[in-house]
Amino acid sequence: MAKQTIMLNCAAGMSTSLLVTKMQQAAESQEIDAKIFACAAGEADAHIEQEQIDCVLLGPQVSYMKDDFVKKLAGKGAAGADIPLGVIDMQAYGLMDGAKVLAQAEALING
Amino acid sequence: MEGNLQNNSAVQKFSNFCGKVGNEVHLRSLRDAFAMIMPLFILAGVGTLINSVIFPWLFKGQTLANLQVWGTLISNGTLNIAGLALAPATGFTLAKNKNYKNPMAAAIISLAALIMMMPQKISLTLATNAKPVDVTGGLSYANLGTSSMFSGIIVGLLATELFIWLGSIKKLKINLGDKVPPMVGESFNSMIPSILTASAFALVGALLAVFGQTDLISLIVKIIQEPLRSFNTSLPGSLFIYSIGNFLFTLGIHQTVVNGTLLDPVLLINMNKNMAAYNAHKAVPYIMNKTFLDTFGMIGGTGSTICLIIAVFLVAKQKSSKTVAGLSLVPGLFNINEPMIFGFPIVFNIPLMIPFVLQPVIGILIAYFFTAIGWMSRVVVYIPWVTPPVLSAFLATGGDWRAIFVHLLIIVIGVLFYMPFVKISERVSAQNAVVEN
Repeated sequence: MAKQTIMLNCAAGMSTSLLVTKMQQAAESQEIDAKIFACAAGEADAHIEQEQIDCVLLGPQVSYMKDDFVKKLAGKGAAGADIPLGVIDMQAYGLMDGAKVLAQAEALING
Repeated sequence: MEGNLQNNSAVQKFSNFCGKVGNEVHLRSLRDAFAMIMPLFILAGVGTLINSVIFPWLFKGQTLANLQVWGTLISNGTLNIAGLALAPATGFTLAKNKNYKNPMAAAIISLAALIMMMPQKISLTLATNAKPVDVTGGLSYANLGTSSMFSGIIVGLLATELFIWLGSIKKLKINLGDKVPPMVGESFNSMIPSILTASAFALVGALLAVFGQTDLISLIVKIIQEPLRSFNTSLPGSLFIYSIGNFLFTLGIHQTVVNGTLLDPVLLINMNKNMAAYNAHKAVPYIMNKTFLDTFGMIGGTGSTICLIIAVFLVAKQKSSKTVAGLSLVPGLFNINEPMIFGFPIVFNIPLMIPFVLQPVIGILIAYFFTAIGWMSRVVVYIPWVTPPVLSAFLATGGDWRAIFVHLLIIVIGVLFYMPFVKISERVSAQNAVVEN
């Protein structure tokens, strides 16, 4: 059981899974104990119900779903708080900059 | 450079509008439903490939005929139930997207409602005689498959809407008092909306049959499915819609918002009819279909960016361009190109937005031309969109070697077309760097 769970969502979960690999490498080198995974936006609901997620990041190409996700994540976090949500920066996403996106997630988690 | 366009309020408004429309719950549910039954279509594609391409290479005569029974059965369970599968899938995804507590109930009622719309009398051909006869007491693949795809979607959406709405009416809830276990009351409470929804659909079906001598499936095919299909899958229609979708991606919004909604349903109908015809050794009806568009208009991902990656390797001078292209090459071989779109970037980068939108059009036109003159086989196999370039063209056309040449020709033209824009883009970003410093 990792200390934190970070979920990434995009259209099909394909390109985001590439970013996950890079983020995991960044987490390892910074000794952060985090479970990071990617899935299609359509599968997000199931994961939110099944496990405790600490942070959700949307790929820039599905940023239009943000309002929806705000509703989805309300009250689903630890102790009934909202799960923090962010949209991944386009540049960081394109360059698959794992460290930068991980930093974004950490900032959201540590609020 | 990018900033100007990104902060332009008209552009912002346009992309917000598209995002809102694409995210509309019914349209989203439709796309989710297609995603849900996609494995069936891929299975049909693999079945077609083995059955009609690989088996005939290896076997002849009675052995081949015996083996091909297997492929026919796969067709029956995939293409021939496309509409039947879409109705519950659409009901399920809509109920889920509306946060209805029991999406499976919506799926079941959608399935029931679709079957209620099926005609009483169907025309079938006897195995021993080619003359069609009218029979009763059955469902035919003709009505459960491709031709009821739209009916499946429409009935699934309507039945689920009605079902959820009826379920939300307080007056329809039965109050059995607090002595009765709550679950007993619950079971009644979902039964009433189900009964009313089913009754309404059966009534519509009965009215159409008695007074119109028709059924909803035929009506939807005639009034909605065929007009939409014939425009959206015509060469100008599909290129126009496809280009709008691709243009949206240059503003950072995934193209499926447009293409998945307007093109995929009708292109899949063409795809399925082609696969069915090819499996039955009949004339293949359509040039334009889902895999045709993906294979020749999306080489290496939306915008045919594999051409851009090669162009960058050939003419780019900036280290950053080459780094992103290098990073994007392997995902690009599987048609995944977000690193290029957001990292290069193509988004809000006017010099690259032009070829990104136009190269797919060029590719599709070239492929359409070679298919129309009969030099290249029509696309008859549904392949997963992650199939690598060149291999994709070969497999999609049922193993036509000429398709490889057409694909390579499109890639070469695409590289030449992207080249000048790579140079312009680098010049613009160099100027911007000077201005910023």
